[in-house]
Amino acid sequence: MRTPWSLVPRHLRTHWVRSGLTVAALVLALFLFCTVRSVVTTLDSAVTSAANNRLFVQSAVSLYVDMPVDYRDKIAQVDGVQSVTYFQWFGGYYEDEKNFFAQFAVDHHVFFDMYRKDIRIVEGPGGVTGEAAWDAAVKAMDSDRRACLVGTGLVREFGWKVGQTIPIVPKIFVKSDGSSWDMNIVGVYEPTKSNVDDRTIWFRWDYLFETMTAEGRGFDGTGAYAVNMEPGADAARVIADIDALFANGPQRTKTTTEAAFQATFVAMMGNVPVFMGTIGGAIVFAVLFSVVNTMLMAARQREHETGILKALGFRDGVLVRLVLVESLVLSGLGGGLGLLLAKISEEGLRHVFGVMLPGYAVEWRTLGLGALLTLAVGVVSAVAPALTLARLRPVDALRSEG
Amino acid sequence: MSAIIEMRGISKTYRRGGEVLKVLDEVDLTVEAGDFVALMGPSGSGKSTILNLVGGLDRPDGYGKGQAGGKILVAGLDVTAMSDRELPNWRARHIGFVFQAFNLVPVLTAYENVLLPLLLTPLDRAQRKKQAEFALEVVGLADRMHHRPRQLSGGQEQRVAIARAIATDPDIVLADEPTGDLDRASADAVMDLLERLNTEMGKTFMVVTHDPMVGERARRTMHVDKGLLVDGLPAPHGATAGGAPA
Repeated sequence: MRTPWSLVPRHLRTHWVRSGLTVAALVLALFLFCTVRSVVTTLDSAVTSAANNRLFVQSAVSLYVDMPVDYRDKIAQVDGVQSVTYFQWFGGYYEDEKNFFAQFAVDHHVFFDMYRKDIRIVEGPGGVTGEAAWDAAVKAMDSDRRACLVGTGLVREFGWKVGQTIPIVPKIFVKSDGSSWDMNIVGVYEPTKSNVDDRTIWFRWDYLFETMTAEGRGFDGTGAYAVNMEPGADAARVIADIDALFANGPQRTKTTTEAAFQATFVAMMGNVPVFMGTIGGAIVFAVLFSVVNTMLMAARQREHETGILKALGFRDGVLVRLVLVESLVLSGLGGGLGLLLAKISEEGLRHVFGVMLPGYAVEWRTLGLGALLTLAVGVVSAVAPALTLARLRPVDALRSEG
Repeated sequence: MSAIIEMRGISKTYRRGGEVLKVLDEVDLTVEAGDFVALMGPSGSGKSTILNLVGGLDRPDGYGKGQAGGKILVAGLDVTAMSDRELPNWRARHIGFVFQAFNLVPVLTAYENVLLPLLLTPLDRAQRKKQAEFALEVVGLADRMHHRPRQLSGGQEQRVAIARAIATDPDIVLADEPTGDLDRASADAVMDLLERLNTEMGKTFMVVTHDPMVGERARRTMHVDKGLLVDGLPAPHGATAGGAPA
């Protein structure tokens, strides 16, 4: 039996205000659902994509309490440890306080080896690209005390170029003359793992150390050490050995895997991820009720027309198909646009979230789930009105007001 | 002529709240093929109920309860024995409906309204188009086929409804107050059209009406009152049966 499909676009067009508002509600709902879920998955991925051979050592008291700098050599002596670097949070900004992103002072000799699998140098000094960029950047970092490596996100945002000197205004390591810290860009990196932010500057630890020492400010600590283990090393034993080394001070340590270290930042947010996930689900449910209501109103207005179609000889199945397709068109349009909006706003939102949520990304899995939800909204919204119309006796439907 | 509609012992009861209303009481009716029958009677007398039962839009008492109710035979087929699934197909093949309120689908054009029942036929797209255009030509609205119902006058809307009713070339056209919402001139034009379809195309018409003009122009008039059906115009002053067919 043929179906008069032309009725679907005609109905949608005839009640364009209602159709438009329903689509708009769905666009907003699916956009919010994807965004909220992406916040949660980004937080999760920081933990799940962490290197399994990397440990972080921090003060047992707090991440904000420094550890002595000579811990580095002691940690390096522990059996199973391959390399160690300082990992000092600098906490400055570029030109304006709103241009805030992460800067870390690291032991660049160790850092390049340690992060070989986490980043790729896309441009080195002199415009070198490809495989040669890595070695060129390492060499330039060795020869220039003020050298730094910047992420592609920062290059996009501020239009920086390799060879440029950028002034970073300190908030923690303030110099006596109040001047900014000049850093020379010798390379641009791109993360190869989702837990690495593309808006970070890595610069030489000795630049920080020597400058602060020369300032007479004293400088005897670092916030964290990053440790790479030898292949096959037992992480639990290495962790226990490092912490045992400093059990009697002067500063006790708390060593964790990179995943656990990342998880502490997620844990700082408490139940926020769960709360956000709940909100995402609630939004979709709220809109589901709205679409059901829209379809029920549409069905109520269409009772008389249903009577006409039934009198002409159209079966109940045809009426069910018409309502189902109309509902799917509405939800598909709204949901599809919502998903599209979530994906195209990814870059902008990554910038908005900044250092709070590095590597923000809308995963294809999230979009797939959104598409499934869209389909479910379309089908579920059609059930009640379709059954209502199908159950109507033609004679009763014809009596109803159109 | 042979009988195309036969109703035997058909009753119909409505329940509204606690009230039981028997509108048809073991009614018998025979309509010959090619006839033009007018069903007249006061409001609520059961005229439209007869039309709905003949057209399979409603079910008589006893249906689905295993009771030995009456029978409605249309073109030799027992409508009362058909399932809810069979009825729509049968209706699409054999019955055309014309309603008082025209009952056109407002979001479709005149042409698309006429095309609707043709979707239920095995005709291909080109044949359906040709048939719909022909039906609109028959009712004199070929130049209005792309107008929406709200862009047409009442009389034109009813002519579109008639084109829709005859588009599939059904055996019977059932019309419920086809002139009820029209002015005199439009009503006359619609009756002219129905008569022409009856005489020239041989369609059987069963028309429910309050309009004496329609009764006069029908070949046969039947009167329905208090659940009973009698041939002829209503008898004056308490008589229960009328005379010979008009």
